[in-house]
Amino acid sequence: MQNKKLNIVLAGQANVGKSVTFNYLTGLHQHIGNWAGKTIAKAEGTLFYKGYVIDILDLPGIYSLATYSIEEIIAREHITKEKPDFIINIVDATRLEKNLLFTLQLLEMNRPLVVSLNMSNLLEKRGMEINLAKLEKILGVPVVLTVATQGKGLTTVLDRGIDLVRKTENIKPIKYGEEVEERIEKLIVDLKKADFPYEPRWLAIKLLEKDQEIIKDIGKKHPELTAKAAGLCRELEEIHGHDASVIIAGERCLLATQIIDQVLKTNKEKKVSLNEKIDRIACHKIWGYPTMAGMLGLVFYIIFLFGNWFSSLLAQITSGWRPAWENLFGLSVLSSLGWSAIESALALFDLALPFIIPFYLLLFLLESSGYLARVTFLMDNLMHRMGVHGKACIPLIMGFGCNVPACLSCRIMETERERFITGFLTTLIPCSAKTIVVFGLVGKFVGLSWVFGLYAFMALLIISLGRLASKKVKGEAVELIMEMPEYRIPSLKTILLQTWFGVKDFIFVAAPLVIGLGIIIKAVSLAGWLPLIVGFLSPITVSWLGLPAITGILLIFGVLRKELILVMLAGLLGTTNFAQILTPAQMIVLALVSLIYFPCVATLAVFWREFGWKRTIIVVITELFLAVLLGGLAYRILNFFI
Amino acid sequence: MIKQLFLAKVKEGEEVEIVSIKAGAKTAKRLADLGLTSGTKIKVLRKAISGPIEIKVRGSRLALGRGLANKIVIKRDLICKIKN
Repeated sequence: MQNKKLNIVLAGQANVGKSVTFNYLTGLHQHIGNWAGKTIAKAEGTLFYKGYVIDILDLPGIYSLATYSIEEIIAREHITKEKPDFIINIVDATRLEKNLLFTLQLLEMNRPLVVSLNMSNLLEKRGMEINLAKLEKILGVPVVLTVATQGKGLTTVLDRGIDLVRKTENIKPIKYGEEVEERIEKLIVDLKKADFPYEPRWLAIKLLEKDQEIIKDIGKKHPELTAKAAGLCRELEEIHGHDASVIIAGERCLLATQIIDQVLKTNKEKKVSLNEKIDRIACHKIWGYPTMAGMLGLVFYIIFLFGNWFSSLLAQITSGWRPAWENLFGLSVLSSLGWSAIESALALFDLALPFIIPFYLLLFLLESSGYLARVTFLMDNLMHRMGVHGKACIPLIMGFGCNVPACLSCRIMETERERFITGFLTTLIPCSAKTIVVFGLVGKFVGLSWVFGLYAFMALLIISLGRLASKKVKGEAVELIMEMPEYRIPSLKTILLQTWFGVKDFIFVAAPLVIGLGIIIKAVSLAGWLPLIVGFLSPITVSWLGLPAITGILLIFGVLRKELILVMLAGLLGTTNFAQILTPAQMIVLALVSLIYFPCVATLAVFWREFGWKRTIIVVITELFLAVLLGGLAYRILNFFI
Repeated sequence: MIKQLFLAKVKEGEEVEIVSIKAGAKTAKRLADLGLTSGTKIKVLRKAISGPIEIKVRGSRLALGRGLANKIVIKRDLICKIKN
């Protein structure tokens, strides 16, 4: 049989097992990129099945096909423009009613569709029974019971989908309420004449829903059509007394309720579910917080313990490389520049392997188990004080490990505005490298209470900057709307894949800048310009911040990697007893400046990619200014006390 | 005039029905897309201290920010009230 190509997409709401299904179908034959011009991950993969080469695209997990978030726009544009051969709609069988709202929207697009009722193994446990035949009849599309974590039913889904493609018979659309349908019909007649490349019924519904994108699109060529639609909207609004956009969504809700009444039988749960038992502690008004602190504390403890051990192991392994390099290439300008490139690359791995990989692993574990949603729930109140909502706590927590994945994870925020504010705040979170500097200087020589003081100060600074940014950055503040997923045992395969793609992304984005800057700094120091720069910076470092002149060099190297501030200090002094040249006040000031003054170059690289150069420059200038201002003030105040 | 009752004021464990959503068309549409329209029955599961409110709606659990919960007008089910 000849190999036939098929293009299919996976669509579904968040937390329905979409990525588990995707990973089961494609395995390592997948490619995670970005949507053109967007910072939204695009997961594609290939599957060879019964003589078909099937390209699978995993659409972002969304709740509707409206234009509320970038993900939703991407998803619907892909379906309408690329016209996939069929859509697999993944549905959480235990939350059928909620998921049906999305399925109904997909059906409006009139593409061949197979519904995969995932997690069907949980139905019996929850006392639920779904009448499959009836559901198929009402929806007019195949419905298959599946268990994605075990791969159960997935081949049936593919078989039914391929059948649909072969038959190519038209799907009969599901009807909404009479007064709505009447107006849809009126629009369809005209839309068919106007010959748009999209499904007329979908366009008609979107027009009645007052979808701004579609109105703009159609209004360009056929203003009479949008005018007609606006008139029909007004008629509907008069009948219902609501905005037309809400009326259409309400129709879907009504239909979903009616379908559920016919196909779902629920026997009341008598026992309190395990899920509820866990949540009684995990989301408790009081106990929820210590539980969360304990959980996250444990995560960081494991990462630091493992990271430090692994990092010193790596240092041992690579300690002989420099002499070996110098033996091989001699001691020339070129060879030292070459070595600095290798050194920077090694530094990158030294960050990625011991810290970022375990961090991603544990974080994805917490996420797919469902616990991160609880953290979001508990932290929403605090995050609101910073002008963002609860979901922002996930990037901020990640920031304690490393600012780079933290910046990348800002994508979970719904709007550009929340994304940028959160991204800005994450660059100020004391990451593991900054922590090394603070503990190595202040913790060791001044006292742990001062470390605590510094962290408390940073917390205050981040909260006030968050408030300020949320006032300054244009756009409407978004409230938290989040599905609370049931707890579940995470799929190891999915976690490993997510980690792998996350780390790969980090290395590819950060490597060019880290290596490039490493070479430049080396070249500057070889050219003998470092004293010049030290002299140039001394009005700030010496006169204003009250630090020794060499700190100018430290802060420049610190841009490369924050912990270099400490490492270089030891190198320049020839001792690790920093108390010899720095007073306690100077140590605190240096630590404070290190915490604020500049995102490290790897963070800079991802920030640039996520938010563009304009915003990157604004953030860098703000942070430099703040560091100098606060450092100088701190020096003057501290001299009173110490 | 009867005083309007908002979702944010409902106690944990209560079952109520949405009357209307006092918010802009955009927010109302968003909530409707998530299945929250007038007439929808919801159960308040949990409230964080001055934080979000967790509800059960259409067989699924949803966390809503407090500000949002302050825009949803509800009524208590009469039958439930008598029973209690």
